[in-house]
Amino acid sequence: MQSTLQQANRKLAIRMMVIACLMFGFGYAMVPFYGALCKAMGIDRANSDFANTSAAVIRVEFDTNVDTGLAASLIALDPVLAAKPGGLLKARFRLINKSDQPLKVRAIPSYAPARAAGLLQKLECFCFDGLTLAANEQRDVMVVLLVANELPEELGAATLSYTLHPELKS
Amino acid sequence: MTTAHDALHAPAHDHAHEEHHVSFVQRWFYATNHKDIGTLYLWFAFSMFITGGIMALCIRAELFQPGLQFWQPDFFNQLTTLHGVIMVFGAIMPAFTGLANWMLPLMIGAPDMAFARMNNWSFWLLPPAAALLLISFFVPGGAAAGGWTLYPPLSIQAGMGMDLAIFAIHLLGLSSIMGSINIVTTVLNMRAPGMTMLKMPLFGWTMLITAYLLIAVAPVLAGAVTMLLTDRHFDTHFFKAIGGGDPVLFQHIFWFFGHPEVYIMALPAFGIVSQIIPTFARKPLFGYVSMVYATCSIAILSFMVWGHHMFAVGMPASTQLFFMFLTMLIAVPTGVKVFNWIATMWQGSMTFETPMLFSIGFVCLFTIGGFSGLILAIAPVDTQMQDTYYVVAHFHYVLVAGALFTLFAATYYWLPKWTGNMYHEGRGQFHFWWSMVWFNVTFFPMHFLGLAGMPRRIPDYALQFTDFNAIASIGAFCFGLGQIFFLFNVIHTIRGGVGKAPAKPWEGANTLEWEVPSPAPHHTWETPPSLEMVEKGLKAQGLLGDHHE
Repeated sequence: MQSTLQQANRKLAIRMMVIACLMFGFGYAMVPFYGALCKAMGIDRANSDFANTSAAVIRVEFDTNVDTGLAASLIALDPVLAAKPGGLLKARFRLINKSDQPLKVRAIPSYAPARAAGLLQKLECFCFDGLTLAANEQRDVMVVLLVANELPEELGAATLSYTLHPELKS
Repeated sequence: MTTAHDALHAPAHDHAHEEHHVSFVQRWFYATNHKDIGTLYLWFAFSMFITGGIMALCIRAELFQPGLQFWQPDFFNQLTTLHGVIMVFGAIMPAFTGLANWMLPLMIGAPDMAFARMNNWSFWLLPPAAALLLISFFVPGGAAAGGWTLYPPLSIQAGMGMDLAIFAIHLLGLSSIMGSINIVTTVLNMRAPGMTMLKMPLFGWTMLITAYLLIAVAPVLAGAVTMLLTDRHFDTHFFKAIGGGDPVLFQHIFWFFGHPEVYIMALPAFGIVSQIIPTFARKPLFGYVSMVYATCSIAILSFMVWGHHMFAVGMPASTQLFFMFLTMLIAVPTGVKVFNWIATMWQGSMTFETPMLFSIGFVCLFTIGGFSGLILAIAPVDTQMQDTYYVVAHFHYVLVAGALFTLFAATYYWLPKWTGNMYHEGRGQFHFWWSMVWFNVTFFPMHFLGLAGMPRRIPDYALQFTDFNAIASIGAFCFGLGQIFFLFNVIHTIRGGVGKAPAKPWEGANTLEWEVPSPAPHHTWETPPSLEMVEKGLKAQGLLGDHHE
C-alpha cells in the first residue's frame, strides 16, 4: 500500500516537473512568438522589413566636439552614414582619455535641424550615461538610431553632434 | 472518537520520547516533519516581513515631507525595489507555503507532506536567497534599483546587485516549484478515505490551485531573469535594443508571470477566510461548489490578463480592449466569493474573535482593493493612473489587507493548535483594530495622491502632495509598531498564553485538524482518520449532500 502511494506520488511529481520544464521553455518560445505577432500586427517599428524602400535615402552626418580644457578626444569612426526610412543606423565613436588620471565624461547630443531629433530616434547611445575612462583609456562606443518611416522630402541630410563634457558631480 | 484519539496519542507519546534524543540542530536544520518545516517557513516569513517593513518605513520616512532628508535617490530606488521583492517572495509567499505545510496534512488527514526531504530542501533554499538580496545593498553599485518588476533597460545597465537579485529569484523560484509539487501531490494523493475532491476544505482547494499556478508561472519568471542575465553578461539581445531586442518583450514575459503571481498571493487568502468565516458564523460555507469553481475561474483568467499592466506601452486598441474586458471579467468569480462570504455570515450566530475580525476586515478592505482594480482595468483611465500612487494604494489594499490580514487571521485561528495555548483575546483584538485603523490611514490617502498625479517610486515630490504624504507616513509608522505588538502576542502565547487550549477551541470549527489534540503532536494521522470521523466533520460543514458527488 505504502509503495503504491509512493509510486503514485513520484509519478505525479515527475509530471509536474515536466510541466515546469516546459513552462521554462515557453518563456523562451515567447521571444520568436512575440516577433511574429508584432510583425503580423504591424507594430514592430524597428523591423527594417517595414521600411519604405522607395523613399529617398537620408544622409546623416556625425560631428564631434570636446569641451575646452578636457584632456580627451571623441572621434566619429563613421562620420557619414546613409539610411532608408524605417531602417536602423549604427554609428561608432572612439573615446580617448589623453590624461594620466581617470576621467568622468558625458556626451551631450544636439541635432541640426532640430526637427531631425523626432525623426532619428535613439535606441541606444553612449550619451545615455556618464562614462568613466581609466587613465589613457581608449574605448569604442556606439549610437543606434531608428529612422522614421515617413520623412519629409526636403530633409536630405541631418547632423547629429556630440560634445564631450566633464561629468558633473552629483 | 475515543478510539481515534487513542490511536493518535500512542505514536505521539512514542515520539515524545524520541524527541528527547533529537538535538536542536537535528530537529530544525534536518527537519522533515511538515509541522517543523511549517514553523520554519512561518518564522522566516515573519522575519522577512519585518525586514521588508523596515524598508517600507525608510521609504515613508523619506516621503514624510518634500525634499531629500535621509536617502539619495539611488538608495531610495534600491529600498523600493527590495521592499517589493522581499515582501512578495520573502514574506507573503513563504508564509502561505508555511501555512500549507502546517495545516494541509492535518486538514486532509495525511501523515505528512508527500516528499518530506524535498520539503526540507525547498525551505532551506530561502535563507540563502534572502541573504543574497540583503548582501546586494553592500556591493558596488548597491542593490537592484529598477523596481520589483526589474524592467530593462534599467535592469540591464544596473550593477552587480542586479545579478545577486537574479540569483535570488532563481533560488526562490526553485523553492516555490518544489513546494508546489509537494502541495499538489499531497492534496491529490494523500487525502483521508471519504474525503473526495469536492469535500476537501476550501483551504486545500485554494492551495492546490495556487500550487498549479506557481508550477506554471515560476519557470516563466526564471526564464525571463535568465534572459536578463545573459543579456547582461553573455552578449545576447533578448531585451537590448542595440542588437534588435525589445525591452517591451520583457514586460510581456514578466507580467505573464506577474499577474498570476497576484492571485498566487490572493487565492490562499480566500481559502483561509473560507475556513474562518463559517467557523465564527457557526454556519456551513455558503455555496461551497461555486467557491471551488470561482477559484478555478480566477486561476484560468489570471493567465489571460497580463496586458493590463502594460496599457501604456503602446498597444493596438483591440488588444487593450481584449485585456480590459477580460480583466473586468475576473470581478465576476471574485464577486461570487465575496457574496458567498457575506451569505455565510447572513443570519449566522456570529462572534467576533480576532480571526473573525481579521477575516471581516479582509472582506471589506479587499473589496475596496478589488474596486480600485476595476477602475484601473479601464484602459483609458489606466493610462492616466499609470505609475501613480493610486496603483500603490490599490495593490496595498489587495496585498496588505488581502494577504497579510488573512495571514494574521490564520495565525490567531490556528495558534492554539500550534502552541497548545490560547492567545490573549483582548490583545488580539487590539492588534486588529490598531492595524485596521493605521492601515487605512496609511494607504487610503494614497488614492488621493495618485488621483492628484503623484508618481510612484520617487524620493521627492511637489509641495501639493505634502499633507497626504505626512498622514500616510504617520499611519505607516503606527501600523509597523502594531506588528511588534503582534510578535509580542505570539511569543506570549508560545510561552503559555492565557492557558491551555482544548483540542477544539472554536465552537464552529469542524475540519479535521480540530480532531487532534492541542498542541498538535509531532506525528498525526499516521493511521488515517476513520471514515466516521471524516463524515462527521463533512456533515457539520454541510458537505455531505447529494450535490457534491
